[in-house]
Amino acid sequence: MAAGTLAGIAMLVLGESHLSLPGYLMNPLYEDLTTQGATVHAIGACGATAGDWLKTVEVPCGADRFKGDTVFKGRAATTSPIKELIAKDKPNLVVIILGDTMASYDNESFPRAWAWQGITGLTKEIAAMQTPCVWVGPAWGTPGGKYFKNDKRVEFMAGFLEKNVAPCVFIDSLKFSKPGQWATVDGQHFNQAGYQAWSANITKALAALPMVQGLKK
Amino acid sequence: MTQAAISPGASQRVATGRVKKMTQAFRSAHFAFCLAGLMLGTLSNAADIPLYPTGPSADSSFVRFINGTDAALELTAAGSKAKVQLDAKTPTTVFYPVRAKSDIKGQFTQAQSKSDISTSVKAGEFVSVIALADGTKLKHLTIGEEPDDFNALKVSLAFYNASAKCANAGLQVVGRDVMLFEKLDVNALTRRMINPVKISVQLLCGAQVTGAPLELGELVAGERYSVFAVPAASTTRIFIVSDAVAR
Repeated sequence: MAAGTLAGIAMLVLGESHLSLPGYLMNPLYEDLTTQGATVHAIGACGATAGDWLKTVEVPCGADRFKGDTVFKGRAATTSPIKELIAKDKPNLVVIILGDTMASYDNESFPRAWAWQGITGLTKEIAAMQTPCVWVGPAWGTPGGKYFKNDKRVEFMAGFLEKNVAPCVFIDSLKFSKPGQWATVDGQHFNQAGYQAWSANITKALAALPMVQGLKK
Repeated sequence: MTQAAISPGASQRVATGRVKKMTQAFRSAHFAFCLAGLMLGTLSNAADIPLYPTGPSADSSFVRFINGTDAALELTAAGSKAKVQLDAKTPTTVFYPVRAKSDIKGQFTQAQSKSDISTSVKAGEFVSVIALADGTKLKHLTIGEEPDDFNALKVSLAFYNASAKCANAGLQVVGRDVMLFEKLDVNALTRRMINPVKISVQLLCGAQVTGAPLELGELVAGERYSVFAVPAASTTRIFIVSDAVAR
């Protein structure tokens, strides 16, 4: 990838546990995006769902990285209302990396109404702030583990997001690998190689979006 | 297009102030497996992270209240003095989130007529309680829907037939030989997705054109709407509402 494919773009990146530990997605993604010229504020909140970013919700862990400084948080971590985050950072692109926390992997029935309510609540608030957004869906995991992640549900979740995140543009992480290709530590969270691959693919996919290219300065 | 099951008339449901307080308790007490002593910045990939839920214990549930009569009425929740007025300008409440299977009680009131509401909502269900004239009295109809058509790129339009005067109800696009909905039973609902276009519709009862055309206005992609057919003095009338959910 040529250097500077994201030059001049101020990104607010929000995510779940994948963005909440240093060896997870937080560090490689932050570094990949900034290497391409973006200014990045990345916030992770373990277990946070879309609706949790409409308010302040306590979560069991989280991380916040801005201007190079990273703060990894334990139980003091919270989400923040998206309106406040946008008002403070004034990003010209919001990137949401969220899906596993809403897939109900351990439940036979998928909670459509709840998921729709949370997703549209978040996308409407972002749209109301007149800020473009991209939603990155979940990646394949390895079946089983303590979260009961499974291929069938993650595929359904990605499809549900694809239909419901507009006006955000959807990036389908399932296209980045084959099921089980990226090794996990618990069925859902990847090892370092997996996160590096996911990060590289997200960065490349973002840079390829015409909407994102239109934001470059 | 699907028709939803219904529970007509008799046993019913309510809301307002009380219902507003029944917000989902989805994300309560479930971070029970937090690791003690999480060391900031020192965790490796092999480190475990606190177990968190990947969804709610039950899907969301919603209830709304619609005035399907020709005059204004009031809605009250049991045990509350708060009242909501529903009239021609604002014939519906929003969908209030409620806890699945909880008792929802209240009352429609219009002049000296009352209709007691008592109902519950299933997980994932959107319930509409429609007040209707019953001669000089008041009654209501309860219709539940479990939608699976959520889509931010399309308009979702429902058609509720709450008029006993209108068998085999249909909605035809004005100026075009296109039926949006056909042969809908009394006390039933159906829903479909359409493109976000500006159209007017004409109610048909059987094959009979009934009432005046209704301009649906600028329908927005991702939004959900309902057209209600309700009994009027000597005919059936239709009106459209947004299926807005309380945020």
